[in-house]
Amino acid sequence: MEYIEIDEYHHLMSPIHQWDPRAKIVSILTLIFSVVLLYDLELAALGLIFAVILLLISKIPLKFVMWHLRWVVLFILPFFLIMPFAVLEGDITVNPEGFEYAFLILIKAISAVILIFPMIGTMRFNSTAKALERLKIPNKIVQMIIFTYRYIFVFIDEFSDISRSLDSRGFRRRTNMHTIRTLGKAIGMLFVKSYERSERVYNAMCSRGYTGNLKTFDKFEMMRNDWVKMFIVMGMAIGLHLLHFIYFMEMI
Amino acid sequence: MVHISDGILSPGIWISGYVITIVILAFTLRKMKTEDIPRLSVITAAIFVASLIHIPVGPTSAHFLLNGLAGVTLGVFAYPCIFIAIVLQSFLFQHGGITTIGINTVNTGVPALIAYAIFRLGTRKDIHKRAGIFGAIAGGVAVTISVLFLSIELVTTGEVFENIAIIIASAHIPIIIIEAIATGTIAAFFVKVKPEILEGYKGVKR
Repeated sequence: MEYIEIDEYHHLMSPIHQWDPRAKIVSILTLIFSVVLLYDLELAALGLIFAVILLLISKIPLKFVMWHLRWVVLFILPFFLIMPFAVLEGDITVNPEGFEYAFLILIKAISAVILIFPMIGTMRFNSTAKALERLKIPNKIVQMIIFTYRYIFVFIDEFSDISRSLDSRGFRRRTNMHTIRTLGKAIGMLFVKSYERSERVYNAMCSRGYTGNLKTFDKFEMMRNDWVKMFIVMGMAIGLHLLHFIYFMEMI
Repeated sequence: MVHISDGILSPGIWISGYVITIVILAFTLRKMKTEDIPRLSVITAAIFVASLIHIPVGPTSAHFLLNGLAGVTLGVFAYPCIFIAIVLQSFLFQHGGITTIGINTVNTGVPALIAYAIFRLGTRKDIHKRAGIFGAIAGGVAVTISVLFLSIELVTTGEVFENIAIIIASAHIPIIIIEAIATGTIAAFFVKVKPEILEGYKGVKR
């Protein structure tokens, strides 16, 4: 099965790659929340421009990002098809406000997804995990994120093995009871295999001195550059809402 | 479809989603021991991968939600596990949203806890005979509640979403049936093959 890891482009060199992971996560996350909280189309568009600028600075290939964006667009598409039309007393009427609203949703959702790439696509997954721990995210959650992330790729392969062996015995997926029950048992088998594997892996880890604490070679230190970058991105986040405020005042 | 993207729900709803999630997480994480973490993560990853599997439904296809199964196998730990799965889904696979992580966890995780309660109560007397039927009920109920939550949230956000809520709810009817059959099958399979995988199996009279 084909899959692409988010940190595939961690090796590139850019100002965002060289930014302290903690400052990077906090700043860009603030920008994401700021954009999602906007309710004017013009300001949301400005937010999208900020997102694209950060993406371009990070040098992550656009093609890679586009490939990931398709899910978001697929999810939002029904809103475009349904929201502009309102049913009034049996008649279908076109409602331009609904269209504008759908457009606003699309812009905000795309901006949020684009910003994920400069945020965590510009460092190794291990650095992200370490940064989360430094940001006082509970250790149990950080550990679960690391383990689960690693196992997802193992199980995608494992399930495609199970799936292939089903196919080779002539199994075809159709809309019937047999298909659901067979896939159910295949999933059950995946669980049993993974459960047994986790016991072996955990014992092996304990025997190598695993205590639950993360040990990486990453050293985090906030330099002047890190603060400047944080100031700029936080400025974008706060600026969007200041603009909204000014805009609102002028209306009165 | 239970994963809602950024920018749709009103801030009041997604912020309360975070509040509820943080409260339940604080409660369940305290019960979790360090030695549980590898086992729970592995099952979380397995549920994550299993929910990517597609099943043909007439001309289109549906995929499993498996939050009922998460409840049946993980018990109260289903909540932190579902939280982790949703975090990974939104950050690493861009499925769902970031501001909606809290509310998505509520929509998926609370039904999982209810599913666990149903399975636990139903199979208390005879888990070998009843795992299939109560697994099915737990699986079906979990998806039904998830869809109900989502529809209520959409409608409270704005009247414009009424049509969408109706379409989403009706599109999930076949998924509820599929999910019920699959969860029942898997629960019965576990009781036969590896009962200790079920959180509810501990302390059950055999």
